[in-house]
Amino acid sequence: MTTGAAMRVDAEQLAGMADTRLVRRRRIGATLLNVVVALLVVAAVVELVVNPNFDWPIVARYLFDTNVLEGVLVTLELTVYAMVIGLVLGVVLAVLRQSRSGLARGAAWSYIWFFRGTPVLVQVLFWGFAASLFPRVGIGLPGGLFLVSWDTNAVVPIFAAAVLGLGLNEAAYMAEIVRGGLLSVPSGQTEAARTLGLGHAETLRFVILPQAMRVIIPPIGNQVISMLKMTSVVLVIGVADLLGSVTEIYARNYRQIALLLVASIWYLALTTLLTYGQSRLERRFGRGISRLEDDRA
Amino acid sequence: MPEPALRADPPIVEIRDLHKSFGPIEVLQGIDLTIGRGEVVCLLGASGSGKSTMLRCINHLEQPDRGFVLVDGMLVGGNVRDGRVHEAAPTEVAERRSRIGMVFQQFNLFPHMTVLDNVTLAPVRVKRVGRAAAQAAARTLLERVGLSAKADAYPGQLSGGQQQRVAIARALAMEPALMLFDEPTSALDPELVGEVLDVMRDLAASGMTMIVVTHEMGFARNVATRAVFLDDGLIVEQGPPEQVIGAPTHDRTRAFLAKVL
Repeated sequence: MTTGAAMRVDAEQLAGMADTRLVRRRRIGATLLNVVVALLVVAAVVELVVNPNFDWPIVARYLFDTNVLEGVLVTLELTVYAMVIGLVLGVVLAVLRQSRSGLARGAAWSYIWFFRGTPVLVQVLFWGFAASLFPRVGIGLPGGLFLVSWDTNAVVPIFAAAVLGLGLNEAAYMAEIVRGGLLSVPSGQTEAARTLGLGHAETLRFVILPQAMRVIIPPIGNQVISMLKMTSVVLVIGVADLLGSVTEIYARNYRQIALLLVASIWYLALTTLLTYGQSRLERRFGRGISRLEDDRA
Repeated sequence: MPEPALRADPPIVEIRDLHKSFGPIEVLQGIDLTIGRGEVVCLLGASGSGKSTMLRCINHLEQPDRGFVLVDGMLVGGNVRDGRVHEAAPTEVAERRSRIGMVFQQFNLFPHMTVLDNVTLAPVRVKRVGRAAAQAAARTLLERVGLSAKADAYPGQLSGGQQQRVAIARALAMEPALMLFDEPTSALDPELVGEVLDVMRDLAASGMTMIVVTHEMGFARNVATRAVFLDDGLIVEQGPPEQVIGAPTHDRTRAFLAKVL
Protein backbone atom coordinates (compact mmCIF):
# COMPACT_ATOMS: atom_id res chain seq x y z
CA MET A 1 0.00 0.00 0.00
CA THR A 2 2.91 2.35 -0.51
CA THR A 3 2.50 3.14 -4.19
CA GLY A 4 0.00 5.56 -5.63
CA ALA A 5 -1.41 2.89 -7.90
CA ALA A 6 -2.25 0.60 -5.00
CA MET A 7 -4.37 3.36 -3.39
CA ARG A 8 -6.51 3.90 -6.48
CA VAL A 9 -10.18 3.48 -5.74
CA ASP A 10 -12.94 2.22 -7.97
CA ALA A 11 -15.41 5.10 -8.37
CA GLU A 12 -18.31 2.69 -9.01
CA GLN A 13 -17.62 0.77 -5.83
CA LEU A 14 -17.42 4.02 -3.88
CA ALA A 15 -20.64 5.30 -5.44
CA GLY A 16 -22.34 2.06 -4.36
CA MET A 17 -21.42 2.49 -0.69
CA ALA A 18 -24.15 3.76 1.57
CA ASP A 19 -21.90 5.95 3.72
CA THR A 20 -18.74 7.64 2.41
CA ARG A 21 -18.08 9.83 5.43
CA LEU A 22 -14.63 9.37 7.01
CA VAL A 23 -14.35 6.87 9.83
CA ARG A 24 -12.14 8.63 12.35
CA ARG A 25 -8.66 7.20 12.92
CA ARG A 26 -7.98 6.09 16.44
CA ARG A 27 -5.82 8.69 18.11
CA ILE A 28 -3.73 6.68 20.53
CA GLY A 29 -2.01 9.74 22.05
CA ALA A 30 -5.29 11.50 22.82
CA THR A 31 -6.80 8.37 24.34
CA LEU A 32 -3.77 7.87 26.56
CA LEU A 33 -3.91 11.52 27.66
CA ASN A 34 -7.62 11.15 28.49
CA VAL A 35 -6.86 8.19 30.75
CA VAL A 36 -4.01 9.97 32.55
CA VAL A 37 -6.02 13.15 33.13
CA ALA A 38 -9.06 11.21 34.30
CA LEU A 39 -6.92 9.29 36.81
CA LEU A 40 -5.40 12.53 38.14
CA VAL A 41 -8.82 14.15 38.51
CA VAL A 42 -10.21 11.15 40.37
CA ALA A 43 -7.15 11.08 42.63
CA ALA A 44 -7.54 14.77 43.40
CA VAL A 45 -11.25 14.49 44.19
CA VAL A 46 -10.68 11.43 46.41
CA GLU A 47 -7.90 13.25 48.22
CA LEU A 48 -10.13 16.31 48.72
CA VAL A 49 -12.86 14.14 50.24
CA VAL A 50 -10.76 11.68 52.20
CA ASN A 51 -8.05 13.94 53.66
CA PRO A 52 -9.51 15.24 56.94
CA ASN A 53 -6.99 18.11 57.01
CA PHE A 54 -9.08 19.97 54.43
CA ASP A 55 -11.55 20.44 57.22
CA TRP A 56 -14.64 20.85 55.00
CA PRO A 57 -17.05 21.28 57.91
CA ILE A 58 -14.98 24.27 59.07
CA VAL A 59 -14.94 25.64 55.50
CA ALA A 60 -18.72 25.37 55.40
CA ARG A 61 -19.09 27.01 58.79
CA TYR A 62 -16.93 30.06 57.92
CA LEU A 63 -17.90 30.50 54.25
CA PHE A 64 -20.73 32.85 55.21
CA ASP A 65 -19.31 34.01 58.53
CA THR A 66 -20.09 37.70 59.18
CA ASN A 67 -16.41 38.63 59.44
CA VAL A 68 -15.66 36.87 56.17
CA LEU A 69 -18.57 38.57 54.42
CA GLU A 70 -17.37 41.93 55.71
CA GLY A 71 -13.92 41.06 54.33
CA VAL A 72 -15.48 40.26 50.94
CA LEU A 73 -17.16 43.66 50.97
CA VAL A 74 -13.88 45.42 51.82
CA THR A 75 -12.12 43.54 49.01
CA LEU A 76 -14.82 44.59 46.54
CA GLU A 77 -14.68 48.20 47.73
CA LEU A 78 -10.89 48.27 47.43
CA THR A 79 -11.14 46.83 43.91
CA VAL A 80 -13.77 49.32 42.76
CA TYR A 81 -12.11 52.42 44.24
CA ALA A 82 -8.63 51.44 43.11
CA MET A 83 -9.87 50.68 39.58
CA VAL A 84 -11.76 53.97 39.36
CA ILE A 85 -8.62 55.89 40.38
CA GLY A 86 -6.56 53.77 38.02
CA LEU A 87 -8.90 54.24 35.08
CA VAL A 88 -9.44 58.00 35.43
CA LEU A 89 -5.79 58.75 36.12
CA GLY A 90 -4.79 56.25 33.44
CA VAL A 91 -6.85 58.04 30.76
CA VAL A 92 -5.37 61.38 31.86
CA LEU A 93 -1.83 59.97 31.71
CA ALA A 94 -2.46 58.39 28.30
CA VAL A 95 -3.74 61.68 26.90
CA LEU A 96 -0.81 63.57 28.46
CA ARG A 97 1.62 61.17 26.84
CA GLN A 98 0.31 62.39 23.46
CA SER A 99 0.32 66.03 24.55
CA ARG A 100 2.07 68.76 22.57
CA SER A 101 3.72 69.92 25.79
CA GLY A 102 7.03 68.16 26.22
CA LEU A 103 6.95 68.71 29.97
CA ALA A 104 3.53 67.04 30.26
CA ARG A 105 4.73 64.10 28.16
CA GLY A 106 7.84 63.80 30.32
CA ALA A 107 5.85 63.97 33.56
CA ALA A 108 3.45 61.26 32.39
CA TRP A 109 6.34 59.10 31.24
CA SER A 110 8.12 59.52 34.60
CA TYR A 111 4.98 58.66 36.54
CA ILE A 112 4.56 55.44 34.60
CA TRP A 113 8.28 54.69 34.92
CA PHE A 114 8.18 55.09 38.71
CA PHE A 115 4.91 53.34 39.52
CA ARG A 116 5.51 50.43 37.16
CA GLY A 117 9.09 50.10 38.26
CA THR A 118 8.51 49.51 41.99
CA PRO A 119 6.56 46.63 43.55
CA VAL A 120 2.96 47.38 44.48
CA LEU A 121 3.62 45.83 47.89
CA VAL A 122 6.29 48.48 48.52
CA GLN A 123 3.97 51.24 47.32
CA VAL A 124 1.16 50.11 49.61
CA LEU A 125 3.59 49.99 52.54
CA PHE A 126 4.74 53.51 51.65
CA TRP A 127 1.19 54.81 51.83
CA GLY A 128 0.63 52.91 55.05
CA PHE A 129 3.60 54.71 56.55
CA ALA A 130 2.81 58.02 54.81
CA ALA A 131 2.44 59.69 58.18
CA SER A 132 6.13 59.26 58.91
CA LEU A 133 7.07 60.80 55.55
CA PHE A 134 4.54 63.66 55.72
CA PRO A 135 3.33 63.98 59.35
CA ARG A 136 0.94 66.72 58.29
CA VAL A 137 -0.79 67.37 54.97
CA GLY A 138 -2.18 70.71 53.87
CA ILE A 139 -1.90 73.65 51.54
CA GLY A 140 1.29 75.70 51.54
CA LEU A 141 4.91 75.51 50.42
CA PRO A 142 7.24 72.50 50.28
CA GLY A 143 9.26 71.98 53.46
CA GLY A 144 6.38 72.15 55.90
CA LEU A 145 5.33 75.80 55.55
CA PHE A 146 1.55 75.34 55.73
CA LEU A 147 -1.30 77.79 55.50
CA VAL A 148 -3.72 75.12 56.64
CA SER A 149 -2.83 71.56 57.57
CA TRP A 150 -4.19 68.40 59.10
CA ASP A 151 -2.78 65.36 60.82
CA THR A 152 -1.96 62.84 58.08
CA ASN A 153 -3.24 59.84 60.01
CA ALA A 154 -6.60 61.59 60.39
CA VAL A 155 -6.94 62.60 56.71
CA VAL A 156 -5.56 59.42 55.18
CA PRO A 157 -6.99 56.53 57.19
CA ILE A 158 -5.47 53.13 56.56
CA PHE A 159 -8.24 52.16 54.11
CA ALA A 160 -7.58 55.28 52.01
CA ALA A 161 -3.87 54.50 52.10
CA ALA A 162 -4.63 51.07 50.69
CA VAL A 163 -6.86 52.51 47.94
CA LEU A 164 -4.21 55.09 47.02
CA GLY A 165 -1.43 52.53 46.96
CA LEU A 166 -3.38 50.20 44.69
CA GLY A 167 -4.99 52.90 42.54
CA LEU A 168 -1.90 54.96 41.80
CA ASN A 169 -0.03 51.80 40.85
CA GLU A 170 -2.90 50.68 38.64
CA ALA A 171 -2.98 54.04 36.83
CA ALA A 172 0.50 53.40 35.44
CA TYR A 173 -0.58 50.13 33.82
CA MET A 174 -3.92 51.55 32.73
CA ALA A 175 -2.20 54.49 31.02
CA GLU A 176 -0.33 52.13 28.72
CA ILE A 177 -3.47 50.12 27.97
CA VAL A 178 -5.46 53.26 27.17
CA ARG A 179 -2.63 54.68 25.07
CA GLY A 180 -2.56 51.50 23.00
CA GLY A 181 -6.32 51.82 22.50
CA LEU A 182 -6.06 55.45 21.41
CA LEU A 183 -3.32 54.57 18.92
CA SER A 184 -5.45 51.78 17.47
CA VAL A 185 -8.06 54.22 16.12
CA PRO A 186 -7.16 55.19 12.53
CA SER A 187 -6.10 58.83 12.03
CA GLY A 188 -8.84 59.27 9.41
CA GLN A 189 -11.34 59.24 12.28
CA THR A 190 -9.70 62.27 13.87
CA GLU A 191 -9.54 64.03 10.52
CA ALA A 192 -13.21 63.37 9.80
CA ALA A 193 -14.15 64.72 13.24
CA ARG A 194 -11.96 67.79 12.76
CA THR A 195 -13.44 68.62 9.36
CA LEU A 196 -16.90 68.48 10.93
CA GLY A 197 -15.78 71.18 13.36
CA LEU A 198 -15.43 68.99 16.46
CA GLY A 199 -12.86 70.25 18.96
CA HIS A 200 -10.08 68.25 20.58
CA ALA A 201 -12.10 67.18 23.63
CA GLU A 202 -15.25 66.37 21.63
CA THR A 203 -13.27 64.31 19.13
CA LEU A 204 -11.73 62.35 21.99
CA ARG A 205 -15.01 61.84 23.81
CA PHE A 206 -17.40 61.01 20.98
CA VAL A 207 -15.15 59.54 18.29
CA ILE A 208 -11.82 58.24 19.59
CA LEU A 209 -12.49 56.91 23.10
CA PRO A 210 -15.63 54.89 22.20
CA GLN A 211 -13.65 53.12 19.48
CA ALA A 212 -10.60 52.74 21.66
CA MET A 213 -12.83 51.06 24.29
CA ARG A 214 -13.18 48.00 22.08
CA VAL A 215 -9.43 47.49 22.26
CA ILE A 216 -9.13 48.62 25.88
CA ILE A 217 -11.89 46.52 27.50
CA PRO A 218 -10.33 43.04 27.28
CA PRO A 219 -7.07 44.08 29.00
CA ILE A 220 -9.02 46.20 31.53
CA GLY A 221 -11.05 43.11 32.36
CA ASN A 222 -7.77 41.35 33.02
CA GLN A 223 -6.65 44.23 35.22
CA VAL A 224 -9.89 44.16 37.27
CA ILE A 225 -9.50 40.45 37.88
CA SER A 226 -5.86 40.85 38.72
CA MET A 227 -6.70 43.82 41.00
CA LEU A 228 -9.32 41.81 42.88
CA LYS A 229 -6.58 39.41 43.91
CA MET A 230 -3.88 42.05 44.26
CA THR A 231 -5.96 43.82 46.94
CA SER A 232 -4.84 41.04 49.27
CA VAL A 233 -1.45 42.79 49.66
CA VAL A 234 -3.18 45.41 51.87
CA LEU A 235 -2.93 42.74 54.56
CA VAL A 236 0.54 44.14 55.27
CA ILE A 237 -0.84 47.49 56.45
CA GLY A 238 -3.59 45.86 58.48
CA VAL A 239 -6.70 46.35 56.37
CA ALA A 240 -9.31 43.66 57.10
CA ASP A 241 -10.08 42.60 53.53
CA LEU A 242 -11.10 39.07 52.59
CA LEU A 243 -7.63 37.63 53.20
CA GLY A 244 -7.18 39.83 56.28
CA SER A 245 -10.39 38.58 57.87
CA VAL A 246 -9.61 34.90 57.34
CA THR A 247 -6.09 35.33 58.75
CA GLU A 248 -7.62 36.94 61.81
CA ILE A 249 -9.91 33.95 62.22
CA TYR A 250 -7.19 31.34 61.81
CA ALA A 251 -4.95 33.25 64.19
CA ARG A 252 -7.57 32.32 66.80
CA ASN A 253 -8.57 28.78 65.77
CA TYR A 254 -5.42 27.56 63.88
CA ARG A 255 -7.51 26.16 60.98
CA GLN A 256 -5.29 27.85 58.36
CA ILE A 257 -6.00 25.51 55.43
CA ALA A 258 -9.77 25.58 55.84
CA LEU A 259 -9.87 29.34 56.08
CA LEU A 260 -7.53 29.86 53.15
CA LEU A 261 -9.93 27.61 51.22
CA VAL A 262 -12.77 29.91 52.29
CA ALA A 263 -10.87 32.89 50.90
CA SER A 264 -10.01 31.01 47.69
CA ILE A 265 -13.64 30.03 47.11
CA TRP A 266 -14.68 33.67 47.43
CA TYR A 267 -11.90 34.95 45.16
CA LEU A 268 -12.84 32.33 42.56
CA ALA A 269 -16.54 33.15 42.78
CA LEU A 270 -15.87 36.87 42.34
CA THR A 271 -13.46 36.47 39.42
CA THR A 272 -16.01 34.17 37.73
CA LEU A 273 -18.62 36.91 38.03
CA LEU A 274 -16.19 39.49 36.68
CA THR A 275 -15.31 37.28 33.72
CA TYR A 276 -18.99 37.12 32.84
CA GLY A 277 -19.35 40.90 33.19
CA GLN A 278 -16.34 41.40 30.95
CA SER A 279 -17.82 39.38 28.10
CA ARG A 280 -21.05 41.39 28.36
CA LEU A 281 -19.12 44.68 28.15
CA GLU A 282 -17.10 43.48 25.18
CA ARG A 283 -20.28 42.80 23.28
CA ARG A 284 -21.60 46.26 24.16
CA PHE A 285 -18.53 48.09 22.82
CA GLY A 286 -18.22 45.87 19.76
CA ARG A 287 -21.25 47.65 18.24
CA GLY A 288 -20.92 48.23 14.52
CA ILE A 289 -17.72 46.21 14.42
CA SER A 290 -18.54 42.60 15.21
CA ARG A 291 -20.02 40.70 12.28
CA LEU A 292 -22.10 38.45 14.53
CA GLU A 293 -23.76 41.45 16.10
CA ASP A 294 -24.55 42.89 12.67
CA ASP A 295 -26.29 39.74 11.56
CA ARG A 296 -28.51 39.76 14.60
CA ALA A 297 -29.43 43.43 14.22
CA MET B 1 -3.23 102.55 10.73
CA PRO B 2 -6.72 102.19 9.19
CA GLU B 3 -7.76 98.67 8.20
CA PRO B 4 -7.77 98.29 4.41
CA ALA B 5 -11.31 98.03 3.07
CA LEU B 6 -12.44 94.41 2.92
CA ARG B 7 -14.09 93.11 -0.19
CA ALA B 8 -17.81 92.76 0.51
CA ASP B 9 -18.05 89.48 -1.35
CA PRO B 10 -14.69 87.71 -1.43
CA PRO B 11 -14.22 84.59 -3.59
CA ILE B 12 -15.03 81.40 -1.71
CA VAL B 13 -11.44 80.18 -2.06
CA GLU B 14 -8.35 82.20 -2.79
CA ILE B 15 -4.99 80.41 -2.86
CA ARG B 16 -1.77 82.42 -3.24
CA ASP B 17 1.76 81.11 -3.66
CA LEU B 18 1.00 77.96 -1.66
CA HIS B 19 4.06 75.88 -0.74
CA LYS B 20 4.12 72.67 1.27
CA SER B 21 6.90 70.17 1.88
CA PHE B 22 6.94 66.81 3.57
CA GLY B 23 10.53 66.29 4.65
CA PRO B 24 12.76 66.85 1.60
CA ILE B 25 9.87 66.56 -0.87
CA GLU B 26 8.22 69.81 -1.93
CA VAL B 27 4.70 68.62 -2.73
CA LEU B 28 3.27 72.06 -3.52
CA GLN B 29 5.65 74.49 -5.22
CA GLY B 30 3.60 77.68 -5.47
CA ILE B 31 -0.09 77.27 -6.23
CA ASP B 32 -2.27 80.26 -7.21
CA LEU B 33 -5.96 79.59 -7.66
CA THR B 34 -9.17 81.54 -7.13
CA ILE B 35 -12.54 79.81 -7.01
CA GLY B 36 -15.86 81.59 -7.15
CA ARG B 37 -19.14 80.66 -5.50
CA GLY B 38 -21.09 77.94 -7.30
CA GLU B 39 -18.08 76.66 -9.21
CA VAL B 40 -17.38 72.95 -9.51
CA VAL B 41 -13.62 72.57 -9.87
CA CYS B 42 -12.04 69.21 -10.65
CA LEU B 43 -8.39 68.80 -9.70
CA LEU B 44 -6.66 66.38 -12.05
CA GLY B 45 -3.17 65.00 -12.07
CA ALA B 46 -1.04 61.93 -11.43
CA SER B 47 -0.68 60.61 -7.90
CA GLY B 48 1.97 62.62 -6.10
CA SER B 49 1.18 65.75 -8.10
CA GLY B 50 -0.09 67.51 -4.95
CA LYS B 51 -3.88 67.48 -5.55
CA SER B 52 -4.83 65.98 -2.19
CA THR B 53 -2.32 68.09 -0.27
CA MET B 54 -3.75 71.22 -1.84
CA LEU B 55 -7.26 70.14 -0.88
CA ARG B 56 -6.13 69.40 2.69
CA CYS B 57 -4.53 72.85 2.93
CA ILE B 58 -7.90 74.45 2.17
CA ASN B 59 -9.45 73.21 5.43
CA HIS B 60 -6.19 73.42 7.36
CA LEU B 61 -5.66 69.68 7.78
CA GLU B 62 -2.21 70.60 6.48
CA GLN B 63 -0.52 73.89 7.30
CA PRO B 64 1.16 75.78 4.45
CA ASP B 65 4.91 76.34 4.66
CA ARG B 66 4.56 79.53 2.61
CA GLY B 67 1.71 81.43 1.01
CA PHE B 68 -1.88 81.23 2.22
CA VAL B 69 -5.38 79.99 1.61
CA LEU B 70 -8.39 82.22 2.24
CA VAL B 71 -11.81 80.61 2.54
CA ASP B 72 -14.65 83.12 2.35
CA GLY B 73 -12.03 85.80 3.02
CA MET B 74 -10.72 84.10 6.17
CA LEU B 75 -7.60 82.18 7.07
CA VAL B 76 -8.91 78.90 8.50
CA GLY B 77 -5.99 78.42 10.89
CA GLY B 78 -4.86 81.96 11.62
CA ASN B 79 -5.66 85.56 12.47
CA VAL B 80 -3.83 88.64 11.20
CA ARG B 81 -2.67 90.91 14.01
CA ASP B 82 0.15 93.47 14.17
CA GLY B 83 1.40 92.52 10.75
CA ARG B 84 1.83 88.84 11.57
CA VAL B 85 -0.34 85.76 11.13
CA HIS B 86 -1.07 84.29 14.57
CA GLU B 87 -2.26 80.73 15.08
CA ALA B 88 -6.01 80.78 15.66
CA ALA B 89 -7.57 79.29 18.80
CA PRO B 90 -8.72 75.67 18.33
CA THR B 91 -12.34 76.75 18.79
CA GLU B 92 -11.97 79.33 16.00
CA VAL B 93 -10.39 76.74 13.69
CA ALA B 94 -13.17 74.28 14.48
CA GLU B 95 -15.85 76.91 13.81
CA ARG B 96 -14.34 77.87 10.44
CA ARG B 97 -13.79 74.25 9.44
CA SER B 98 -17.39 73.41 10.17
CA ARG B 99 -18.33 75.63 7.18
CA ILE B 100 -16.20 73.44 4.88
CA GLY B 101 -17.49 69.94 4.22
CA MET B 102 -15.02 67.20 3.37
CA VAL B 103 -15.49 63.75 1.89
CA PHE B 104 -12.60 61.30 2.10
CA GLN B 105 -11.44 58.50 -0.15
CA GLN B 106 -11.83 56.03 2.75
CA PHE B 107 -15.22 57.48 3.86
CA ASN B 108 -14.05 57.74 7.50
CA LEU B 109 -17.54 57.18 8.88
CA PHE B 110 -17.62 56.59 12.62
CA PRO B 111 -18.04 52.80 12.80
CA HIS B 112 -19.44 52.74 16.35
CA MET B 113 -22.41 54.97 15.49
CA THR B 114 -25.50 54.37 13.40
CA VAL B 115 -25.89 56.24 10.12
CA LEU B 116 -28.27 58.70 11.81
CA ASP B 117 -25.82 59.34 14.67
CA ASN B 118 -23.00 59.87 12.17
CA VAL B 119 -25.03 62.57 10.43
CA THR B 120 -26.33 64.28 13.60
CA LEU B 121 -23.13 64.21 15.69
CA ALA B 122 -21.69 67.52 14.49
CA PRO B 123 -24.98 69.48 14.29
CA VAL B 124 -25.80 68.41 17.88
CA ARG B 125 -22.33 68.78 19.41
CA VAL B 126 -20.91 71.68 17.41
CA LYS B 127 -23.90 73.73 16.28
CA ARG B 128 -25.97 72.87 19.38
CA VAL B 129 -29.01 72.01 17.27
CA GLY B 130 -31.68 70.15 19.26
CA ARG B 131 -31.56 66.39 18.80
CA ALA B 132 -35.05 66.12 17.30
CA ALA B 133 -34.44 68.93 14.81
CA ALA B 134 -31.03 67.48 13.89
CA GLN B 135 -32.57 64.06 13.29
CA ALA B 136 -35.33 65.50 11.11
CA ALA B 137 -32.74 67.37 9.05
CA ALA B 138 -30.58 64.24 8.86
CA ARG B 139 -33.47 62.15 7.56
CA THR B 140 -34.10 64.73 4.84
CA LEU B 141 -30.43 64.56 3.84
CA LEU B 142 -30.43 60.76 3.86
CA GLU B 143 -33.45 60.83 1.58
CA ARG B 144 -31.55 63.18 -0.71
CA VAL B 145 -28.71 60.66 -1.03
CA GLY B 146 -31.21 57.81 -1.38
CA LEU B 147 -30.55 56.13 1.98
CA SER B 148 -33.54 56.94 4.18
CA ALA B 149 -34.02 53.21 4.81
CA LYS B 150 -30.52 52.89 6.29
CA ALA B 151 -30.79 55.47 9.09
CA ASP B 152 -30.43 52.86 11.84
CA ALA B 153 -27.77 50.71 10.16
CA TYR B 154 -24.13 50.77 11.17
CA PRO B 155 -21.54 51.75 8.53
CA GLY B 156 -20.13 48.20 8.52
CA GLN B 157 -23.47 46.93 7.21
CA LEU B 158 -23.39 49.19 4.15
CA SER B 159 -21.66 48.86 0.78
CA GLY B 160 -18.83 51.25 -0.03
CA GLY B 161 -21.08 53.32 -2.27
CA GLN B 162 -23.70 53.62 0.46
CA GLN B 163 -21.04 54.56 3.02
CA GLN B 164 -19.74 57.32 0.77
CA ARG B 165 -23.25 58.68 0.29
CA VAL B 166 -23.68 58.74 4.08
CA ALA B 167 -20.36 60.58 4.32
CA ILE B 168 -21.69 63.19 1.89
CA ALA B 169 -24.89 63.56 3.93
CA ARG B 170 -22.79 63.88 7.12
CA ALA B 171 -20.77 66.71 5.58
CA LEU B 172 -23.90 68.45 4.25
CA ALA B 173 -25.49 68.34 7.72
CA MET B 174 -23.25 71.23 8.78
CA GLU B 175 -24.67 73.31 5.90
CA PRO B 176 -21.23 74.01 4.45
CA ALA B 177 -20.55 76.84 2.03
CA LEU B 178 -17.97 74.68 0.28
CA MET B 179 -17.52 70.93 -0.24
CA LEU B 180 -14.15 69.23 -0.71
CA PHE B 181 -13.99 65.73 -2.21
CA ASP B 182 -10.72 63.80 -1.95
CA GLU B 183 -10.93 61.00 -4.54
CA PRO B 184 -14.45 60.07 -3.37
CA THR B 185 -14.82 57.09 -5.71
CA SER B 186 -11.27 55.69 -5.77
CA ALA B 187 -11.91 53.12 -3.03
CA LEU B 188 -15.13 51.84 -4.59
CA ASP B 189 -15.86 48.77 -6.69
CA PRO B 190 -16.53 49.91 -10.28
CA GLU B 191 -20.26 49.13 -10.14
CA LEU B 192 -20.70 51.40 -7.08
CA VAL B 193 -19.00 54.49 -8.54
CA GLY B 194 -22.10 55.65 -10.44
CA GLU B 195 -24.38 56.03 -7.41
CA VAL B 196 -21.86 58.32 -5.67
CA LEU B 197 -21.26 60.40 -8.79
CA ASP B 198 -25.05 60.77 -9.22
CA VAL B 199 -25.33 62.27 -5.73
CA MET B 200 -22.43 64.61 -6.49
CA ARG B 201 -24.02 65.64 -9.77
CA ASP B 202 -27.27 66.52 -7.97
CA LEU B 203 -25.29 68.48 -5.42
CA ALA B 204 -23.54 70.45 -8.16
CA ALA B 205 -26.88 71.14 -9.85
CA SER B 206 -28.20 72.54 -6.55
CA GLY B 207 -25.52 75.24 -6.75
CA MET B 208 -23.02 73.89 -4.16
CA THR B 209 -19.43 75.05 -4.58
CA MET B 210 -17.33 71.90 -4.95
CA ILE B 211 -13.63 71.12 -5.28
CA VAL B 212 -13.16 67.54 -6.39
CA VAL B 213 -9.93 65.58 -6.62
CA THR B 214 -10.83 62.79 -9.02
CA HIS B 215 -9.75 60.42 -11.76
CA GLU B 216 -13.31 60.21 -13.13
CA MET B 217 -12.81 62.03 -16.44
CA GLY B 218 -16.45 61.60 -17.43
CA PHE B 219 -17.58 63.38 -14.28
CA ALA B 220 -15.01 66.14 -14.76
CA ARG B 221 -16.08 66.65 -18.36
CA ASN B 222 -19.83 66.66 -17.70
CA VAL B 223 -20.18 68.29 -14.30
CA ALA B 224 -17.15 70.50 -13.64
CA THR B 225 -17.21 74.17 -14.53
CA ARG B 226 -13.42 74.18 -14.54
CA ALA B 227 -10.70 71.56 -14.74
CA VAL B 228 -7.34 72.22 -13.12
CA PHE B 229 -4.38 70.03 -14.00
CA LEU B 230 -1.54 69.74 -11.50
CA ASP B 231 1.90 68.32 -12.10
CA ASP B 232 4.83 68.28 -9.68
CA GLY B 233 3.14 70.67 -7.26
CA LEU B 234 2.26 73.30 -9.87
CA ILE B 235 -0.85 74.12 -11.87
CA VAL B 236 0.20 73.54 -15.48
CA GLU B 237 -3.12 74.00 -17.19
CA GLN B 238 -6.66 75.04 -16.35
CA GLY B 239 -9.86 76.02 -18.07
CA PRO B 240 -13.21 74.64 -19.19
CA PRO B 241 -13.10 70.83 -18.90
CA GLU B 242 -13.83 70.23 -22.57
CA GLN B 243 -10.71 72.25 -23.36
CA VAL B 244 -8.36 70.83 -20.67
CA ILE B 245 -9.53 67.24 -21.17
CA GLY B 246 -10.58 67.45 -24.81
CA ALA B 247 -7.83 69.61 -26.27
CA PRO B 248 -4.96 69.93 -23.79
CA THR B 249 -2.18 72.30 -24.76
CA HIS B 250 0.49 71.11 -22.32
CA ASP B 251 2.62 68.01 -22.93
CA ARG B 252 2.26 66.82 -19.33
CA THR B 253 -1.52 67.06 -19.52
CA ARG B 254 -1.55 65.11 -22.77
CA ALA B 255 0.72 62.41 -21.37
CA PHE B 256 -1.47 62.06 -18.25
CA LEU B 257 -4.74 61.96 -20.19
CA ALA B 258 -3.34 59.38 -22.60
CA LYS B 259 -2.88 57.08 -19.60
CA VAL B 260 -6.25 57.57 -17.91
CA LEU B 261 -8.64 57.95 -20.83
